[in-house]
Amino acid sequence: MKSSLPPLGPPVSRDRVIASFPKWYTPDACLQRKEQFHGQVNEACQHRHTGTVGLKLSKVVVVGDLYVGKTSLIHRFCKNVFDRDYKATIGVDFEIERFEIAGVPYSLQIWDTAGQEKFKCIASAYYRGAQVIITAFDLTDVQTLEHTRQVPGSAALRVHEGSGTCPTGLPKPEPVAGQWLEDALRENEAGSCFIFLVGTKKDLLSAAACEQAEAEAVHLANEMQAEYWSVSAKTGENVKAFFSRVAALAFEQSVLQDLEKHSSSRLQVGDGDLIRA
Amino acid sequence: MEEPPLREEQEEEEEDDDERDEAGPEGALGKSPFQLTTEDVYDISYVMGRELMALGSDPRVTQLQFKIVRVLEMLEALVNEGSLTVEELRMERDNLRKEVEGLRREGPPANGEVNLGPDKMVIDLADPNRPRFTLQELRDVLQERNSLKSQLLLVQEELQCYKSGLIPAREGPGERREEDAVVPRVSKGGSNKEEKTTIKKLGSFITWQEGDEQAGKRRSGDFADA
Ligand SMILES: Nc1nc2c(ncn2[C@@H]2O[C@H](COP(=O)(O)OP(=O)(O)OP(=O)(O)O)[C@@H](O)[C@H]2O)c(=O)[nH]1
Ligand SMILES: [Mg+2]
Repeated sequence: MKSSLPPLGPPVSRDRVIASFPKWYTPDACLQRKEQFHGQVNEACQHRHTGTVGLKLSKVVVVGDLYVGKTSLIHRFCKNVFDRDYKATIGVDFEIERFEIAGVPYSLQIWDTAGQEKFKCIASAYYRGAQVIITAFDLTDVQTLEHTRQVPGSAALRVHEGSGTCPTGLPKPEPVAGQWLEDALRENEAGSCFIFLVGTKKDLLSAAACEQAEAEAVHLANEMQAEYWSVSAKTGENVKAFFSRVAALAFEQSVLQDLEKHSSSRLQVGDGDLIRA
Repeated sequence: MEEPPLREEQEEEEEDDDERDEAGPEGALGKSPFQLTTEDVYDISYVMGRELMALGSDPRVTQLQFKIVRVLEMLEALVNEGSLTVEELRMERDNLRKEVEGLRREGPPANGEVNLGPDKMVIDLADPNRPRFTLQELRDVLQERNSLKSQLLLVQEELQCYKSGLIPAREGPGERREEDAVVPRVSKGGSNKEEKTTIKKLGSFITWQEGDEQAGKRRSGDFADA
């Protein structure tokens, strides 16, 4: 594979450079507690053993009820803007954000799906192949949190139990109201996705109210084996930290998977396209 | 000349007398005129013929008998005609009744409202905001938008590379294109092949494209709000 995105990209902006492993938001609901990159990953990056196909771009899918602030969150991160007027997402939209992680260029392809029920059949076609699923809810609206919840014992649990069944082969039931996570997981291979639960509009809550909402969300996050974050697109609070965390986890997983794949025939890519710039 | 018909009637009446009418031939005379059947007319002619014969062969009786037979024939014609009409009307009534029942079962044809099955909706063709595009059309537009957006992102980045001097100016855009084929030539009308190239460059874009097409086939009939 010759060039990929970015082909010969301009240098990433300084605040997209991730040198040390970004921390979790709360230790009560996080996917990883360590504060450093995996030793193998660090070494691979230093010795440029990472230049394998498919490494440089991960797919992130953002789901959740309408009006919870998915688009606002993505726009705050990718464009550093906030629009107080609501404009419903039609079907899907996407942004691509470039990083440099541990010295290696890396991109997130962030899919912003519509929360409106009538678009679900369109948006759900874009769930496939996601490495990260971000389930967003509105901290000021308990119902939106409920709607992320899936039927206990279903796809999410299967994913983390690592059972070999692949839900994508099964006949598809119609998407139901809510069940965002379950629908997204159904389109993906078991155990292949990182799940994040994100509470939005943190600026609208008092500290006490936020704490209360978070407690409930953390509980649910643990049930769905997700990492929890509270953010505000309006003030930008935690937005960059959150996406850095997403990028780092996805990046590390990609590198580890590639190392595993190529462990027998180790590639020497020090002079490869990846590090060309 | 008038006798034979009367005789015939008599014989026939005698044959099925018992089963048909318990009151005997005389009973027919006690019936309501609207209930009379042709059988009753024959009964009456039998009774009258018998009584006329008892009167002997007075020529006045013979004359009267002639007229009586004529009247009985007229009565027979009327009763026949009446019962046919009644039968016809009964059939027509039954047909209409069936028709009404059928219409009633389909639901009341309320004023101006169309009767719809479940999960159907009415579209007001005069409404400028009515749904008018299919789901597949929306999918196609979205896919084209996404494809164009990804091309734009690539071009923007390439432009930035030129601006920041990462790509030497002497290496013109034309040359680079041939070398790396990074930027598809949109001017050609964005043929399928070129679009695919861009998508390939973006790796997992292929994933959504496939998923999209499949889903499109599944539900191309749906409506999307305009
Ligand atoms: N105060 C505040 N308002 C927010 C925040 N994030 C989003 N909003 C507002 O919430 C409304 C909905 O935001 P969107 O980002 O469009 O919601 P969405 O989830 O993308 O909605 P759909 O595209 O329909 O699924 C908008 O009016 C935003 O201005 C936030 O952090 N704080
Ligand atoms: Mg949106």
